[in-house]
Amino acid sequence: MTHTDKSDYRHLALFWNDMLYLMANKSQALSSTGPFRTMLSNAKLISNELIEINERMANFNVYMTKYYQQLADTWTEAQKKVDLKVGKPSDPAEYDAYKRVWIDVFDNDFTELFDSEKFGANYGKLVSEELEMAKHWNNMASIVLKSVNVPSRKEMNEVYQEVNSLRKRVAALESELRSRRRDEAKSA
Amino acid sequence: MKPRVPDPALFDMLRLGSNMVRAPKVIQSPAEVNLEVTPHTVDHTIGKVRLLHYSMGDKPTHSVPIVIAYALINRYHILDIHPAKSWVRNLLNQGYDVYMIDWGTPSPMDRYLDFDYYVNTYMDSCIDAVCDAASTDSVTLQGYCTGGTLAIIYAALHNSKVRNLVATAPVLDGHRDTTVVSNLSKHLDVDKLVDTVGNMPPEFMYYCFSVLKPFEQGIEKYLNFFKNIDNERYVDNFLRVEKWLSDTPPIPGELFREWIKNIYQRNLLVKNAMIVGDKRVDLRDIRMPVFTQVAVGDHLVSPECSMPLHYAVGSSEKIMRIYPTGHVGMIASGLSQKKVLPELGSWLSKRSD
Repeated sequence: MTHTDKSDYRHLALFWNDMLYLMANKSQALSSTGPFRTMLSNAKLISNELIEINERMANFNVYMTKYYQQLADTWTEAQKKVDLKVGKPSDPAEYDAYKRVWIDVFDNDFTELFDSEKFGANYGKLVSEELEMAKHWNNMASIVLKSVNVPSRKEMNEVYQEVNSLRKRVAALESELRSRRRDEAKSA
Repeated sequence: MKPRVPDPALFDMLRLGSNMVRAPKVIQSPAEVNLEVTPHTVDHTIGKVRLLHYSMGDKPTHSVPIVIAYALINRYHILDIHPAKSWVRNLLNQGYDVYMIDWGTPSPMDRYLDFDYYVNTYMDSCIDAVCDAASTDSVTLQGYCTGGTLAIIYAALHNSKVRNLVATAPVLDGHRDTTVVSNLSKHLDVDKLVDTVGNMPPEFMYYCFSVLKPFEQGIEKYLNFFKNIDNERYVDNFLRVEKWLSDTPPIPGELFREWIKNIYQRNLLVKNAMIVGDKRVDLRDIRMPVFTQVAVGDHLVSPECSMPLHYAVGSSEKIMRIYPTGHVGMIASGLSQKKVLPELGSWLSKRSD
């Protein structure tokens, strides 16, 4: 059976994470009270999230490196264009003209980059990986919040969803009331 | 012996350094700049949304009020940024009764607000309030940028309440939009963004701003500012616009999801296939007079993105004007005061009594 380095690492981390939890479980249960066991199981969940986040971070770094590479390549190319267009300025009037050309060339080249498919695609993947990492941070925060009896983000979202549904129902009733009043005023 | 000429860059750096040291002594801080220019009252509120009613004491000479739906990005102040460049003040001076919808600052609790709520509740409630106050059945609805998109949808779904529609740089045809913002939006996994962070954070918008002409807007602008610290008018204008630019509220998550998916990625609005609430938005249902304003140098909403409105609506009375300026220049500049607003006022005057 062949494994990549990444899946080897993941397997190893998960194996010992789970084994240590199972091995410690019985003796901890015997010697400790309930809340301490919750802390142990929370520690296991947080470890799992950290393992996942590590994997995501590797992907994130790939896209981040590409992102900076794109910026650096564009900078180099733009500077070459400026050097070809204008020489080194020797008096204040030339210096202002040099700055103008520099800014125009750099703005044009960078706008072309930001407008390109290759930049858009890499940027999309970069943000996507960043969000995946944020999801794991959110999950860890939820575990901690739950342990101190504070509603998690998911639970708060359920409340917001309910509030939104009520808002829509009230708004529909208010709108109906307004048009009825207007009709009554017209007929009167 | 030939005298040695000092490096001009050195001169420039020394002058800049000296001005940077002097600037705090002669210029107020951006936080001290007041962006509330024209007097107004808050005539109606719903949720975090406020309906502002502007007045400089004179009675309006036109009976149909104008309701301005500002964009969802940054705040309404740009339409009243300076007495000499105020869109609102110019319309008041032309005899119009002017209202503005301030969308407020959505909080995490607002993450499920969508196009349906913004158009059919927020806008509808504000327009009903204006109609009641002015004893009229309909208003002139003007929408700017993303506010233009909301105004278009409102006009299609509630056409009896809109006497005239003015769309100023509206975001409509996402596939024709050639801007950097559109390119980033097309590649964004918006479901993941909204599901993970809820409301669209302002930082994402600041990133989008940073990739628009990054060297002119990110470097040259500030160098010019420090070079011009003794030019009172320049400094005043700079600080007002900078303060406006640096303050954008979050966008409710669901609204942002629909925005990116339905307009930039699937382009449903211009195809008459977008569903808002339980209704399909058909631009051919817009039959009132329509004025479309487009800026040829707009790098936030490209002209190709806005212009299809002129051809898509069902109105027989319609006009489109293309101005030689940019996204902000169209609403807050000398050109807007001398050309854009007089043309709009003149067109509206025949349709506002």
